[in-house]
Amino acid sequence: MTVTDDSMSVVGDHDFPVNKGALCIKGWLAAETLAHPGRLQTPLVRNARGVLMPATWDDALDYIATGIQAAQAKYGVDAVGVFGGGSLTNEKAYLLGKFARVALRTRNIDYNGRFCMSSAAAAGVRAFGIDRGLPFPVEDIARADAILLVGANPSETMPPLMQYFQAQRANGGSLIVVDPRRTLTAQTAALHLRLTPGTDAALAGGLLHLLLRAGCVDRDFLAERTEGFDEVRGIAATYWPERTEKITGIPEDQLVQAALMLGQAKRPMVLTARGGEQQSQGVANTLAYINLALALGKHGQPFTGFGTITGQGNGQGGREHGQKADQLPGYRRIDDPAARAHVASVWGINADDIPLAGSSAYELLDTMGCENGVRALILVGSNPVVSAPNAVHIEKRFRALDLLVVADFFLSETAQHAHVVLPSAQWAEEEGTMTNLEGRVILRRRVADAPSEVRSDLDIIAAVAERLGKGEYFRYSNAAEVFDELCRASEGGVADYSGMSWQKIEANRGIFWPCPSPDHPGTPHLFAERFATPSGRARFHPVRHLPPAEVPDAEYPLYLTTGRVLAQYQSGTQTRRVSRLATMAAEPFAEINPAAAKQAGIADGALLALVTRRGRAIARARLTRDIREDTVFVPFHWGGTSSINRLTNPALDPTSRMPEFKVCAVRLESHPEHVRHDS
Amino acid sequence: MIISPEVPHALKQRLVVIGNGMVGARFVEEMLARGAAERYEIVMFGDEPHGNYNRILLSGILAGTHATQDTFINPLAWYADNGITLHAGVRVTAVDRHAKLVRGDEHVFERYDVLVFATGSSAFVPPIKGLNAHGRGAEMKEGLFAFRTLDDCERILSYVPKARTAAVIGGGLLGLEAARGLLERGLDVHVVHLASHLMEMQLDPAAGALLKSTLEGMGVHVHLEKLTKEVVGEDRVEGLCFADGSTLACDMTVVSAGIRPNVSLAMACGLTVERGIAVNDEMRCLNDADVYAIGECAQHRGQLYGLVAPLWEQARALADRLSGRAPQASYTGSRVSTKLKVMGVDLAVMGDREPSQLTDEVVTYSEPARGVYKKLIVREGRLTGAILLGDAAAAPMLLQSFDRGSALPDNRAELLFQLAAAEVTTGVADLPDSAQICNCNGVSKGALVAAVQAGHCTLKAACEATRAGTGCGACKPEVQAVLELVAGDSLREDPSVHYYVAGVALTKAQLVSAVLERGLRSVSAVFAELADGREDPSSKAGLASLLRTIWGKDYDDERDARFINDRVHANVQKDGTFSVIPRIYGGVTSAAQLRRIADVAERYDVPMVKITGGQRIDLVGVAKEKLPDIWRDLGMPSGHAYAKSFRTCKTCIGTEFCRYGVGDSTTLGIQIERRFQGIETPHKIKLATAGCPRNCSEATTKDLGAVAIEGGRWEVYIGGAAGTRVRKGDILCVVHSHDEVLRYMGRFIQYYREHAKYLERTFGFVERIGIERLRALLIDDADGICAALDARVTEATDAYVDPWTEAVVPVHPAQFVSVLEPVGARSAAWEGAT
Repeated sequence: MTVTDDSMSVVGDHDFPVNKGALCIKGWLAAETLAHPGRLQTPLVRNARGVLMPATWDDALDYIATGIQAAQAKYGVDAVGVFGGGSLTNEKAYLLGKFARVALRTRNIDYNGRFCMSSAAAAGVRAFGIDRGLPFPVEDIARADAILLVGANPSETMPPLMQYFQAQRANGGSLIVVDPRRTLTAQTAALHLRLTPGTDAALAGGLLHLLLRAGCVDRDFLAERTEGFDEVRGIAATYWPERTEKITGIPEDQLVQAALMLGQAKRPMVLTARGGEQQSQGVANTLAYINLALALGKHGQPFTGFGTITGQGNGQGGREHGQKADQLPGYRRIDDPAARAHVASVWGINADDIPLAGSSAYELLDTMGCENGVRALILVGSNPVVSAPNAVHIEKRFRALDLLVVADFFLSETAQHAHVVLPSAQWAEEEGTMTNLEGRVILRRRVADAPSEVRSDLDIIAAVAERLGKGEYFRYSNAAEVFDELCRASEGGVADYSGMSWQKIEANRGIFWPCPSPDHPGTPHLFAERFATPSGRARFHPVRHLPPAEVPDAEYPLYLTTGRVLAQYQSGTQTRRVSRLATMAAEPFAEINPAAAKQAGIADGALLALVTRRGRAIARARLTRDIREDTVFVPFHWGGTSSINRLTNPALDPTSRMPEFKVCAVRLESHPEHVRHDS
Repeated sequence: MIISPEVPHALKQRLVVIGNGMVGARFVEEMLARGAAERYEIVMFGDEPHGNYNRILLSGILAGTHATQDTFINPLAWYADNGITLHAGVRVTAVDRHAKLVRGDEHVFERYDVLVFATGSSAFVPPIKGLNAHGRGAEMKEGLFAFRTLDDCERILSYVPKARTAAVIGGGLLGLEAARGLLERGLDVHVVHLASHLMEMQLDPAAGALLKSTLEGMGVHVHLEKLTKEVVGEDRVEGLCFADGSTLACDMTVVSAGIRPNVSLAMACGLTVERGIAVNDEMRCLNDADVYAIGECAQHRGQLYGLVAPLWEQARALADRLSGRAPQASYTGSRVSTKLKVMGVDLAVMGDREPSQLTDEVVTYSEPARGVYKKLIVREGRLTGAILLGDAAAAPMLLQSFDRGSALPDNRAELLFQLAAAEVTTGVADLPDSAQICNCNGVSKGALVAAVQAGHCTLKAACEATRAGTGCGACKPEVQAVLELVAGDSLREDPSVHYYVAGVALTKAQLVSAVLERGLRSVSAVFAELADGREDPSSKAGLASLLRTIWGKDYDDERDARFINDRVHANVQKDGTFSVIPRIYGGVTSAAQLRRIADVAERYDVPMVKITGGQRIDLVGVAKEKLPDIWRDLGMPSGHAYAKSFRTCKTCIGTEFCRYGVGDSTTLGIQIERRFQGIETPHKIKLATAGCPRNCSEATTKDLGAVAIEGGRWEVYIGGAAGTRVRKGDILCVVHSHDEVLRYMGRFIQYYREHAKYLERTFGFVERIGIERLRALLIDDADGICAALDARVTEATDAYVDPWTEAVVPVHPAQFVSVLEPVGARSAAWEGAT
């Protein structure tokens, strides 16, 4: 980031160890959101006529405090909820968790990362005893000789990561991409497996079957460092190639080829992302891929192993420090008495006063305004009206709240329903740490001043706490102090930051957790000697493929899958407001195979309606053979009648409570041009 | 006598499952997955003494692709861990439906509230004389096997070493899988089938006939319309007699003539049994509401199923119902599809094999030469049947369409051929300025052109100026192309694309002159002098080839620079054995030569003797250590079928006997082969001579070919190919004599030796240099190099030594000792062995 007198621009830092100077277009243009004319400049409060009007901070904070107290008095402490985001800094995520437990004393706090990383997180904890996206630095990707990349499209969603895949190819390595679409990433692969949506566990089982058949499993590793393989091997016997082919739609010879590429590799790597995870079987799918990766052995050595690619900027750190319903800082469980005692001592409160686990994200939103649900919600860094599944229903729930407080930079689709909107500072205007997909904690320094009436989220949280009479727990002179407290709170936890400080992070250009003491250098590679399970062994989990909650039928004959495009980020609140990005991806589109389009009578470039059991959304047809004949892809960045999450299925994973964003059944209908709505 | 204890939890019902096979165990798994252990105490009976295993994989065990332990699904401990009582190896002898009691061997009694028959089926053994060993009751003759269980499989495998010829009775799915497995085990295999074509249950006659020839191509003998009357032999199998009076000598027989449902137990206890145990859509027996049947023993809507997918659907439906998860669940029948699990044969079948209604649409595609046959039966826009043989790439998509009953695209060709995504590769020159080059940063060609014109003339500068290539970086080659287009010759390109081999930074011409100048006669000397001593293993073979071309017999041969093929002068096969192909000049042999080859083949138990496409005889499957002895006994020169060198010259019958011949192609072919045998080339070269333009020996698609035309003239072709790429050769010249053919061929070969990149075939080389340029160089002598080329090729051919003389004096003691090649080395050898 460089700032001159009259302008700001972003440049890449070639020495930074993660991206080595590469930025995607969203990064290059990120400065545009700072001085955007649509930016919120003052607090807004809904007046008696129901219109959001500018207000002073005092008035806004009074309104909030009164509303919270009223709701808690009438319905109990748990009637106030907090909803956070995976883009918030570690300091904010930590403080939001503390705010819920200490200032509000509510158990209802969760965040949008539940829609993102929760399946991978749950699977990682079960199999390895720890949830860190990658147990190795990203550079290791370049040295792996065969990589299975599942349900990820970093060419569009994380372009700077692609340099490592390109280096991997230049080093003679091979890449296998698993995706129903032939994405830009898949186009760079040595082998593209075009799987049927919702069949990941069968694919993983089938590949394991072939590895066993070819004698390519690492028996020594299995015997010495894992447990539970025998049962998994028995299940693998039921995924013979013909059966796997039929379930997944991937030709047998490609399955064999993929298995041999992985099995013969000296340094095999398996990487998953949202494709397999955002399903009602997301945890099982991820565990199935972990089974495959464990059978290949060699974990804990450099350049090999299993990892999951994190979606949001602070998707990793955001899920470590208490923003989740069932969690306390340091990746501690909220129902663990020792964890409660430790965190309570750091916070200066009684352990018994820490509430127990609350509802997960979708369930929290689903019960807004209902009996036993939350009546007041404080929402920071998220736009669920666009990003949550079954969005029409969720939007209704938002309208039923007694109080909705939203802190954001723009008047997002969700903020439009708020009673109070608070203008918050953007990334360049405040400081803080983020923990990236590698578990590397990095520091972002402030380079610009926020507009005068705009405050940082940390200040906002502290000010609300003050009004609620809990100010003594939230007095910090700067964000670094919050981080120091976070480090103390994480001490002894799984994600132990206690040996870190901002100075140390900056000096080392990032530190990998765990870092349990000031002289500890951090841990780039996990699992060298033991896994973080009680036995020290990685655990296999028996997984049988189960179909997704909804499969195509005569009425809804196609699969619908959703995802992101290059020029947009998440719900589009920021990126839809950057002119270059908006023109690059101006309106929502649906990728359809020409065969499917022909049957529905839809021409390339025509408007169409996508219809599921939950709703209807409008998009423009983009015909391509790069997608399976039975699948339609629509990005989820848009709101209104184009919001694809009006259609998605809120069937939840039994463990992670992840909604099934990646698979549901859909029907296509043509849509006349003149009744098009603007979103 | 063991009587099961009283029900521990009064509330739990007792569920007894008879059968622990693919379906019985699957049903119990499905029950457990639905939490049914809360409602039921589960007891199972299994005939076999193991946990359950995947019967589908038995043909894999037979073929050696699967190990036995990889087929086990649930070990015995699994049953105990899940609180299931399994009576393994206990056969149920009776069911008393009034007392609700199941009686097994060993005095086991189990009481039930709900009983599930999953008794499966048994191999059907047709009534044939002589099945049993003489005087030993019902015991089958030695060498006679069913193919149904893991035990059958293990018995067959333990007998294989004692057998040479096997007959498989039954040419259905399982029989063919068994045949292929036995073939894989090195036996001579005969399939004996009653019907007029193979797999008549799934295939139409056309597909059956094609499958027959595909299997025959693999070495399986197929006998159709043969009814086996008798198994001949006293105590062990010696042969089969058929109803038509013919016989077949064999020393083992596998009977795979279909299956029969195991229904005797159900019949004995009075359940309604037709062909199978009759059940309704609840999978419930018709005359007992507490008894169910699933799997191969069950007859549902008059239908018996023998494939696993529908049977698992039955298991799932019953588990849904009995577990209480979905008490109304029912099974309404399945659409069946299967694939033949035979290595080397792609066959997928689904649904009907023939149309049955007048309006049924039939789409077929047949390409017998490649063994491809595809047939679709479409009814009302939906697939009701398909056969895909020889190319099952479209199978997954069709299988899914068939299973889901989804509407098919109007363009049926899209169904038969998995049309690749339309890949239009347009050069950057043809792109409009608005075309996007960098997807990440939305940089157009026009923006890049402007940046280059503004002076950003290196890749780095252009990328920095436009941000192209700064995201994922994948577009850098296109950015480079735009640069080249705009900046033209002023650009610096990456020189390494012109290197002869990666490990030495010189073009071929530079390398040749450096080698000559410094007198480098070994690969290691080249690395030492020209690559700062850095030895690049991947460059060794290419350098060795070049040095041999340059130095001929003065080349200092370091054997580790060679592929395995070149080290032992034979072609490594996929199982690590070698093939031996002696040279037979022009494909013309003699009785004496054939006798010698036959003697050798017999003496050394050569598993396969094959006439090659190059008109020679291939002894396939020879162990490495036998190579020297075989060569010695053959007393014939090496055919160089393993090397990057002159391979063979195929001939037609020529003028001597052929009615059409206009030139003596046979004599010419022999002359060519004697002249150029063993000459080292950048890649293999295959030649042919044809006595007339009918081109019986396919000379126009060879690396070099000579075709006789009217007037005693010969057309000399170069750069033909009929492999992965098919290309008709270009005419280099038309000449009048054999001597001229030899001279121009030699001249081209030498030019190719000196100028082609390592592993560049002639078709690529001719295209790269251009036929016009080659004619100018080699015919018109535009550069004055012809005399030198002729001299050097003569020198090279004169230096020829038959490598098989190493049989007498090995280069090193371990040259022909069998060692396990590490995987990496094996794959390197593979690349070399074409």
